[in-house]
Amino acid sequence: MDLRQKIITRNNISIHGSGETTLLLAHGFGCDQNMWRFMLPALIPHYKVVLFDYVGSGNSQLSYYNQERYSSLQGYAQDVLEICEALNLSDVIFVGHSVSSMIGIIASIKQPAYFKRLVMVCPSPCFLNIKPDYFGGFEKVDLEELLGLMDKNYIGWANYLSPLVMGGSQSDELIGELSGSFCSTDPLIAKSFAEATFFSDYRYLLKDAKHPVIIFQSARDALASVDIGNYMQQQLPEAKLCIIDAEGHCLHMTQPEIVNQHLREYIGD
Amino acid sequence: MATKYQFDCVENVTPDLFQSGFLITDENRCIIYANSYFSDEFNLLTEELLGTSSDGLFTHSSRIFCESYLMPLLVHEGNCEEMQLALIDGDGDRVSIIVSARMDRKKRIYWSFFNASKRDQLYNELIETRKELEAQTKVLQSLSSTDELTGLTNRREFNLRAPQLIKQAKRYGYSFALFIIDIDHFKNINDTFGHLEGDRVLKELGSQLKSFGRETDLVARFGGEEFILLLPNINIEDAKFQALRLHSLISRIQVNQIPVTVSIGGMLSDGSQNLRDTTSKADDALYRAKNSGRNKTVFY
Repeated sequence: MDLRQKIITRNNISIHGSGETTLLLAHGFGCDQNMWRFMLPALIPHYKVVLFDYVGSGNSQLSYYNQERYSSLQGYAQDVLEICEALNLSDVIFVGHSVSSMIGIIASIKQPAYFKRLVMVCPSPCFLNIKPDYFGGFEKVDLEELLGLMDKNYIGWANYLSPLVMGGSQSDELIGELSGSFCSTDPLIAKSFAEATFFSDYRYLLKDAKHPVIIFQSARDALASVDIGNYMQQQLPEAKLCIIDAEGHCLHMTQPEIVNQHLREYIGD
Repeated sequence: MATKYQFDCVENVTPDLFQSGFLITDENRCIIYANSYFSDEFNLLTEELLGTSSDGLFTHSSRIFCESYLMPLLVHEGNCEEMQLALIDGDGDRVSIIVSARMDRKKRIYWSFFNASKRDQLYNELIETRKELEAQTKVLQSLSSTDELTGLTNRREFNLRAPQLIKQAKRYGYSFALFIIDIDHFKNINDTFGHLEGDRVLKELGSQLKSFGRETDLVARFGGEEFILLLPNINIEDAKFQALRLHSLISRIQVNQIPVTVSIGGMLSDGSQNLRDTTSKADDALYRAKNSGRNKTVFY
């Protein structure tokens, strides 16, 4: 089996559309490529869209899971780079949800030629509050408790985790529909991904970003506040911040039309 | 609005008599009923709870857990069982609780709460024990796969890992090199300068080999004064170059101010032969290197 086929199978890659511009859509923690399905129909007519699952998520090949490699976001960034290499991609527009935004930064600094721009949906470079002036939203004890809850409810949650935090007052219809995105994952792998996600601090990388970035931040998001968006815009060398008047941490699922519209304008200009 | 439910069959019995918390929220998750367990057990006054959102009961992380797990489960399945969360009691302390809940068609949620402080203590002890066991396993694994003197992979571990590398070479169509390294006149070193000096040479050779290898190379002490290297994805020119590098690196080790030399048997393979056959051919080559003057590499 050649490298291309190996990576396609390993990361469950699917390619849609055939436009000149390539979008690489990277899912966040606790889900898989299915989370892009609300945005996908409007993107396919214009772009080549590449979807994948990180090793350990969705329908990736679990046999490739390696505790050491995936104990930090670098391991996930390596997945992204290997996908670019295997598919011979260059000048990709990388769209990452939540933690994948930072995975995209890590990957794009390591191998700039693969990328053209980065699109971040509800990103956070660090979820911890770091005194005196960074407010990631969580005290260490909160995050430890969150991981503890994952451990203590492990029999159920990894099979029934909806894409982290959709916003408390979403309609039940939407919650019902989104709940089709429940991601059944191995709880130990999911917990390890959670640790890599929630305890990392990649703020120091922002200033080294090599590509223009657009940030979509939700006006009311329990995981990544507008302040975090502002912080990132200040730190990144070239960034646009787009606050969307909506609730929750999954704009690409709850507001796909608005995100698509801004995305197309951004790519077009 | 708060309602006192009368239980039809037994007089003067209300939910307040139960040693568990009952809570009802409306379609906006606004609390419309709470029994006295909340004030008795958690020091949360019922009249202050009514009209507020049930979200306000929970800790930050429990709210996130509710939104990403409990609520979708309720919407999807209609009920959830035995979920462990934490609430903030009337004194501002975190209390572990077990929650079961059911949602009706009008989106009212009927919650039951149980104090789970003792159970949580047990959980935490179990989690700590698991962590300790995992750490111990790691140490034991490393001990059982490492050669004590040199810190290199031992023969047992090499025999476990090498076949996988050979299979990969065959599968992806690249060749690999296998080197067996034997220290020249090692017995003389031991006899003349003592075993401690012999051990020092072995240790130094071990650390030279550690710095020599790429991340993907497999380097092991094979036994006595023999070392074995498997270098994946390499052609014959590079393999010869690497052999020269080995001689040069190892000659930095000196005994009585004379550089240590080694003989190397090399075998380049495409993975079509198993580990035993490949090793045996490298061993043949080593034998020829020894018999033709030592301090050289011979390829099979």
